[in-house]
Amino acid sequence: MVLAAASLQDVLPAVARAWDARGGVPVRFNFDATSRLAPQVIKGAPADVFVSADDEWMGWLEERGGVDGLSIRRVATNQLVFVVPTGAPDPPGAPVSIARADLARIALAGENVPAGRYARAALESVGAWSSVEPRVVRSGSVRGTLEWVARAEADGGIVYRSDALAEDRVSLAFAFEGEGFPQPAYSGAIASRTEFREMAEAFLDFLSGAEAVALFSASGFGPASAGGPVTQTPTPAPGLDPWSAVRLSLIVALSAVLLGLVPAVAMGWLLARKDFPGKSFVSMVVMAPLVVPPVVTGFLLLSVLGRDSALGGLLAAIGLPIPFTLLGATLAALVVGFPLYVMAIRAVFDTVDRRFEEVSWTLGVPKAPTFRRISLPLALPGIAAGAVLAFARALGEFGATVVLAGNMEGETRTIALAVYSLLESPSGRGATWLLVIASVMLSLVALLGFEGLTRWQRRRMEDHHGH
Amino acid sequence: MGSTAAAGGSELHVRVRVPLDAIELDVDWRPESDHVAIVGPSGSGKSTLLRALAGLEPAALGHVSFGDDVWLDSDSGVYTPAWERRVGWVPQDALLFPHLSLRENLAYAGAGEPDVERMAASLFLSDLLDRRPRFLSGGERQRVALGRALLAVPRMLLLDEPFSALDRPLRSEIAAMVRAFARDSETPIVLVSHDEHDAELLADERWVLVAGRLTADGAR
Repeated sequence: MVLAAASLQDVLPAVARAWDARGGVPVRFNFDATSRLAPQVIKGAPADVFVSADDEWMGWLEERGGVDGLSIRRVATNQLVFVVPTGAPDPPGAPVSIARADLARIALAGENVPAGRYARAALESVGAWSSVEPRVVRSGSVRGTLEWVARAEADGGIVYRSDALAEDRVSLAFAFEGEGFPQPAYSGAIASRTEFREMAEAFLDFLSGAEAVALFSASGFGPASAGGPVTQTPTPAPGLDPWSAVRLSLIVALSAVLLGLVPAVAMGWLLARKDFPGKSFVSMVVMAPLVVPPVVTGFLLLSVLGRDSALGGLLAAIGLPIPFTLLGATLAALVVGFPLYVMAIRAVFDTVDRRFEEVSWTLGVPKAPTFRRISLPLALPGIAAGAVLAFARALGEFGATVVLAGNMEGETRTIALAVYSLLESPSGRGATWLLVIASVMLSLVALLGFEGLTRWQRRRMEDHHGH
Repeated sequence: MGSTAAAGGSELHVRVRVPLDAIELDVDWRPESDHVAIVGPSGSGKSTLLRALAGLEPAALGHVSFGDDVWLDSDSGVYTPAWERRVGWVPQDALLFPHLSLRENLAYAGAGEPDVERMAASLFLSDLLDRRPRFLSGGERQRVALGRALLAVPRMLLLDEPFSALDRPLRSEIAAMVRAFARDSETPIVLVSHDEHDAELLADERWVLVAGRLTADGAR
């Protein structure tokens, strides 16, 4: 099992095929950001070889005994490049021009992901960081960064040369070349816990052999020798304010619940009370986010609401851009929580005796005022219960949010995203626990509220049916 | 007790078919007097007939008219919704709005406070006005339902076993009060009941509904 940096996702399987062809044992891979893989090695993930995208994380692992220090060796290098959506007019030609104002959004990988750290260091070295920082949108990985640029959600982004080559919807504007720029370098090492030390060693040798080097170079990677000695990138402060995450979570969850109130009541009532053609289809679409992976929901939302779509373009034009905004985070939370919202409201309309409405009609009160005076108040506990469930779900939302709204400190970084970011930061322990406790408490309070409301509803129904 | 039937008989003319689960309600009915009782075994369609008159059975086919008003005429597509028929429907289980106090239930159709107080007094409910329905006995609920319907100034009263939960002395007293109301306001009554006594108290004419078919009862 080889744990390797996500940016090697395309090239390493090719290398492994060559290794297979030469009679090596089959290799399995686990690709992810180095910053997520390194802690996994310590926590006991099955691993024989670890390939890191930066030296600091490798050093961090060595210190903790996760890898055999003597086995560490450089296997390839990469280069940071600035990419723009293919066809973008007037792309910047040099690092200093990134500061230009017409690049409204610049995508980088997360601040603890090596590619994100390298990018920051590169911008700092040309003195552009402070002017760029407010425009940065961060994705969890280089792949995510690339996707955003490809969709023109971001006007440009900093990724590895190897990634830029693999994506034809972006074009390379310039590379961060020369002295002073960080040189991304991959090193491999044998995991201390491996049971197959000899094979691991052989695979590492193969990685630095001529055949592998040719494959690396064909994919846009540089030779191992270009990396030179270990380059230390400074560990950026996590830059994460836990209270801002708690505040954002509450804002997002509350706005999602308020924004969804009228649609959820309408949909719940419709599904409980009306028969119409296509009803099961409508019900299925509403319920889908309950079972579809949230990341997929987020992707679909991004496709529908992104700036490159008709609807998203329209919304952006009237000043309501969805991706990478608080509104986007709210929408993601709403869509994912909507099925619970609707289910609770549908259930309560199912239990409210329709004859109450009929009595009201015979008393001369037409349908709409009857709905307001009778149906709605009788359904109130169920509506509140649905709102609380949707609120709780919104608090926990992660997958759709990170895809649609990104993980932006102070803007879209809710508790769930903050905890995720902190997990890959070596210095984030204290804040993590604070957020974990806040998160558990909020969820428990919400569920207690749900219990109470359910009991209220049941009592009301018993009042009527009890005699 | 004198009959209040208008000289030309009742203004109600009903010719409807309503498909039910087991049987079909199929009646062609033109009562003689203004105050009629319908008796019959349970499941014969009595409640459905009342609901069809109230405008609560959208599946009903045929023709229903009351005076000059056509409430239903399936041939010409006429269907007057329940809120425009303004009939006082008192269902057997009262169906008081559980989230409203007695006072609010009584005033639901827009009656003013003095009228609500007066009605409550005549139904012996004055002490209970600020309670919620869940704190009432079955008989108290039935009286509130009756009061709520009367306060809406109905053009016709549709009473579905309205006194089933009242004990005898009170039953006579309330029935007399309803009778007086109907006489003073010239409001026709259609009463559905198992109870011979109720029928005697309120109606001048009796019909029997069995398995969806309505026949005049010569007993009275």
